[in-house]
Amino acid sequence: MNALATADVGALLQLVPVQRAGLALLLAAVGLPVIGVVIVGLDIMPVRFAMMHVALLGIAVGLLTGLDPMLCALVACALAGAGVAPLARTPDGLSGAMGLLMSLAIAAALLLLAVSGVNASGAFALLWGSILSVGSPDLVVLGALAAVVPALFWWRRRDIGLLLYDRELAQCSGVPVRALTAALLVLVAVAVAGAIKLTGALLVDALTLLPALAARRLGSSLKSITLWAIGIGVAVNLSGFLLALWLDWPPGPVLVLMAGAVVLAVHLVSERRTSPWRAPASASLPSSH
Amino acid sequence: MGGLDVRMHGVTCRHGRVEAVSGVDLEVAAGDRVALTGTNGSGKTTLLRAVLGLHRQAGGSILVGGRGTRTAAEWAWRRRSCAWIPQKPAAGRFPLLGAELLDSSHAPAEAAEAAARLGVGTLADRPLHTLSGGQLQRMYLARAIGCVAAGAEVLLADEPTAALDFEGQAEAADVLASLPVTLVVVTHDRALAERCDRVLEMAAGRLREVR
Repeated sequence: MNALATADVGALLQLVPVQRAGLALLLAAVGLPVIGVVIVGLDIMPVRFAMMHVALLGIAVGLLTGLDPMLCALVACALAGAGVAPLARTPDGLSGAMGLLMSLAIAAALLLLAVSGVNASGAFALLWGSILSVGSPDLVVLGALAAVVPALFWWRRRDIGLLLYDRELAQCSGVPVRALTAALLVLVAVAVAGAIKLTGALLVDALTLLPALAARRLGSSLKSITLWAIGIGVAVNLSGFLLALWLDWPPGPVLVLMAGAVVLAVHLVSERRTSPWRAPASASLPSSH
Repeated sequence: MGGLDVRMHGVTCRHGRVEAVSGVDLEVAAGDRVALTGTNGSGKTTLLRAVLGLHRQAGGSILVGGRGTRTAAEWAWRRRSCAWIPQKPAAGRFPLLGAELLDSSHAPAEAAEAAARLGVGTLADRPLHTLSGGQLQRMYLARAIGCVAAGAEVLLADEPTAALDFEGQAEAADVLASLPVTLVVVTHDRALAERCDRVLEMAAGRLREVR
């Protein structure tokens, strides 16, 4: 007999909340790792923290004005994403901007909360979701992300590939660099903020960043990286979720640890692989000109 | 011979407080080949980038084919009509395949054909960061040829032969000089400068005619 208290997974899977959570994770694993690819490509790893704080600011505004706090949070994140887009002009402009955004948003949020007299931890609690408590509207949002994000990626794959490789080259190749950067940043901001609400802050990393980090090592083009990210996302989320059910552990940490283990394993494996720059074919200039 | 004329008047570019290009006047007739030489840091690259709007702190006027860049549509036209070979074809933050680079010329077939002629056709399915400096430079040269096939009439080439071996430099210089475009090329390569109609020298942000 196993020392761990294991549950009957089959019986658990009959429960509606568990089925919903599984479906939510599957949908999230299709859309969110692609967002992660953008996050890695634009080098804006701190975006999750920035968006948490911007969302808090939005919630504070919502509580103060009586509007729907979550809607305010999403709008605030979208505006913040669009607002930092011009800073993408310089190579490291965006990662710095994320830090600045985080500080300014948390300061503004705390000030607003203090002025409005709302309990800050109460506002923060609105932001925390759990994968086991997703409702039907949440599933719709995740489903929309799962459809829209990969579709946008497929439709604009050449432009996005050039933009993530080199902004200036993209600009000179006729890519609408500003509009595309702004669109990607808004999408990242809204998806991350939405996913925090739906799945919890910790789980967002397992769904977005970690599959993309592993995929970055495995793929050699935007297409293959994106496909790897989705594949790793789906595999890690489903197996991690079943493991968490079986062991009766909270799904969030289990999934993050599993995804983290995949990232580590991929890094260790790809360290061993050598990628010679020498071409198999002749690289000399034939005198045909 | 195709090509558009390039006219610069009072072009000044700053890097913060440093004036990298000061008051440059330059008229290049359509189809002319002009070599820009000069010491490192004399402003050659900055001047070339200003033509494409990649340098933000730029003043003065630059007309290509008589057209300025007041609107976004005019910028788009400028970037279509001016092919660019960047100085440091930097291996970017994210992988890009050789074929994707060639596709970005908007004439994938011609660019791929040029890549094959330049001996890098078989590398098209490799990510650019796995290529050597010389292979990467040939890839960018092939892309520029594709841009010309797609309608570009000016080629702005920034040290396009710097990473090539001697034989490769001569071949690439022949290719560059044979294109039906106005060529403005920053170079320290004598073989390439000799194939140009005019040689200009830049020093401390100013331009003077050498030949």
